[in-house]
Amino acid sequence: MTDILRVQGLRKAFGGVVVANGIDFSLSTGAMHCLIGPNGAGKSSFFRLLLGEHAPDAGTIIFDGSDITNLRSFQRIRRGISVKFQVPGIFKALSVRQNLEVAFQDHLNGQSLNTKIHEMLDFTDLHAEETTPAGNLSHGQQQWLEIAMAVGVEPKLLLLDEPTAGMSPDETRKTGEMLHDLNARGITILAVEHDMAFVEQIARRVTVLHFGSIFVEGTIAEIIDHPGVQEIYLGTADV
Amino acid sequence: MISSETTPRSRTRSLLARLEGPQTMGRGPAFWIAAAVAIAAAAAYPLTADAWTVGNAAYFLIWTFMAMGLGVVWGYAGALSFGQTAFFGLAGYAYGVITLNLGAAYGLTLVALVLAVAIGGLFALVIGYFMFYGRIQGVFIGIVTLSVTLVLETFMAQTAGPQWRIGEARLNGFNGMSGMPPLTLPWVGEDIALYPGPSLYYLLLGLVVICYLGLRIMLNSSFGNVLVAIRENPHRVGMLGYDVRLYQTLAFAIGGAFAALSGALYTAWGQYITPSSMGLTSAALPIIWVAVGGRRDITATLIGTIVVLAGFQSLTIYGSQYALVVMGALLLVTVLVAPQGLVVGAMTFLGRIFKKDKS
Amino acid sequence: MDLLQNVFAMLYQFGDTFAFLVISCAGLAVIFGMMGVINLAHGEFIMCGAYVTASAARAGLPLPVAILTGALVAGAVGMLVERMVIRHLYHRPLDSIIATWGISLIATQGVLIVLGSTMQGIGTPLGSIEVGSRSYSLYRLVLMVCALGLLGGLYLLFYHSRFGVIARATIQKPHMAHALGVNTGRMYGLTFGLGAALAGLAGGLYAPTMTMVPTMGATFIVESFVTVVVGGADIFVGAAPAAAILALIKAGLTAWYGQLFGQIGLLVTVILVIRILPGGLSGWLKGTTR
Repeated sequence: MTDILRVQGLRKAFGGVVVANGIDFSLSTGAMHCLIGPNGAGKSSFFRLLLGEHAPDAGTIIFDGSDITNLRSFQRIRRGISVKFQVPGIFKALSVRQNLEVAFQDHLNGQSLNTKIHEMLDFTDLHAEETTPAGNLSHGQQQWLEIAMAVGVEPKLLLLDEPTAGMSPDETRKTGEMLHDLNARGITILAVEHDMAFVEQIARRVTVLHFGSIFVEGTIAEIIDHPGVQEIYLGTADV
Repeated sequence: MISSETTPRSRTRSLLARLEGPQTMGRGPAFWIAAAVAIAAAAAYPLTADAWTVGNAAYFLIWTFMAMGLGVVWGYAGALSFGQTAFFGLAGYAYGVITLNLGAAYGLTLVALVLAVAIGGLFALVIGYFMFYGRIQGVFIGIVTLSVTLVLETFMAQTAGPQWRIGEARLNGFNGMSGMPPLTLPWVGEDIALYPGPSLYYLLLGLVVICYLGLRIMLNSSFGNVLVAIRENPHRVGMLGYDVRLYQTLAFAIGGAFAALSGALYTAWGQYITPSSMGLTSAALPIIWVAVGGRRDITATLIGTIVVLAGFQSLTIYGSQYALVVMGALLLVTVLVAPQGLVVGAMTFLGRIFKKDKS
Repeated sequence: MDLLQNVFAMLYQFGDTFAFLVISCAGLAVIFGMMGVINLAHGEFIMCGAYVTASAARAGLPLPVAILTGALVAGAVGMLVERMVIRHLYHRPLDSIIATWGISLIATQGVLIVLGSTMQGIGTPLGSIEVGSRSYSLYRLVLMVCALGLLGGLYLLFYHSRFGVIARATIQKPHMAHALGVNTGRMYGLTFGLGAALAGLAGGLYAPTMTMVPTMGATFIVESFVTVVVGGADIFVGAAPAAAILALIKAGLTAWYGQLFGQIGLLVTVILVIRILPGGLSGWLKGTTR
């Protein structure tokens, strides 16, 4: 199995604050992987570096066999990375349909675009809201819409930043099922998540970040039993 | 064989389908009948008025291009440009310089018109490139564009000396250029010079209709989709794989080209152009038309512009300073009371009343 | 001897431009830096200060008192404008800018209607001094000192006074300041008033050197915008060094190529700066020192 993503020696500091301290990380194609760590561990910064929103001070990012370290965000997206942010990044004044159009029109047009939009409306159960401004949807529906925008383009790698933030337990479970479904269709998934129950539901392997470096990586059971992890993370966060 | 026949036709059909869409108000037979009636009334207008009044109405139409261009840049792409007059003025001067050098024969004034629009649009492309690729955002776009137009004004005002000439054309500093030929159509026998009057009016009316419909198609196309998405959330648009800077720059260049069209037509209409057309007061006027009409809808922008211009014109008989005070007050009231625009506000209000009546 | 004379001429030109940039942009920079509002009526507050100064001076007040009166009146008008218009638009920064443009139009044209197209000015005081074969206006040298004094005064106000601390807290964390019992509305009002008063001060200081016309504010506006754009949001880290750099560029180009190239040089600098340093000087300086 090849690696879809390989990060080597990734380093980034803002003045004296080191947010990525030589991260070596790889993700095999088809994986479903979670990234955890206490607040300030560098999870979001790592995502920003992957997405090209920050330029690293050192290190390389290899995606799908080619070096994307110096590419701009939109160029990385075009190579098959897709992202869903913690705060729903949707176009609130535009209708649900327009949101989906903007997400897919670059890849599809005419009838195939229409088919895709219908498929995604089915998928998110938003058929009745097709012409509603996205800002009027419930928080959960907005999350769903953004997930649809992110996965409808059939990315090779899907990055999720706390996908279940603000969702009800029911919606969270549904999201987990959907992610398994997407993964089964061949999409590699990397998620930052706080909710350990959700991590258990979706992740096959987990990486713990601490102070901008990889602390440990393993299966969920290994991570939970790891004494160091309990000390730095679970002991404090699992209130 | 069959496919080569159907492809262009189906392409035309899909273009026409773009005349309606979520980015533009007005759809269905009722709207298009009303639009046709409005155009017919506008076309019949010269029959009811004398040539001077018609020439004056042509003057209103000239400004609508700049207003619609600003509507695209500000209302749709979300970049508030305070300096559309820079492209207006530059194209106005370009038309003057080119026609004074080439003359009006063989339809060369039309070539000058096209060149002037191209120059204005190109300048907007360059300014847009520096702004958007320099990640300039929000208020800074306003300041930079305003600075550009004000510096251009100062520059042109300082060109009084005889050394400031381009070929035959003296720039004439503060007093501006004059004496350039009007638009002239080549015709068998004798060329037709379009002085302010019915024939110029019809030409402009045709241009307005073409530009308005063309913009509707563009705004409802995938390009327009991306523009409004950028207005709502540029970061997300980038994260969907679009080069946001490119779209913003293109929208800005289109807006600039429309302002340039107004500028070149203005020079051709009055046969003069002065540096004050790029000054602070002139720069404020397009903002007023578009804000008062409603920037997020091209139809509201068009209607608002014509109504405000007509109001401004009728106030000018008391003195332009009174008219400008009213314009300033109108802008304040719009921003405070109906930020989405008075025309849009009125449309929404009427819609609500209708709904109440029905229920 | 010739060399010394030329050096003095260059320094004078630089100091004169620097003073003009600092004094004319201070009010704009304070309002923008503290409130995020670009005040397009900035030039009209300058005009207000200049008109009041000139009237007061001709009524017999000594010039420094007249200038202060001009600044105070402009500040009072500023607070009134904030109360009536700007306060309603804080959550819509772009609209607040457009509103100030409306105010600018009303003010310029209103003054034109009420006071006519020009007003009698006051002559430049203090005469001139001779350096070598050339003479220089002493009042302009005073203006250079005023510019430095203004920067010093603002520094003390924002970093070493109760008002400054509260103002900066309000700007950085409005909700927190509000929770701590700061009257944030009043702080915004005072800040806008301060910006307007500084604009009025600029008008008062330059009133003796200018023709009094309702559109005189436009003379200041390009330079002050350019300084604020190049400087970025922070007046001390950004605007002051920006004024120095721009003054150097403008004075140099003006000395060698004339007025016009000085102004074009400013514009080119702005375009290059925004291409290279999107956050302006202050964003860049803060980014490297953090």
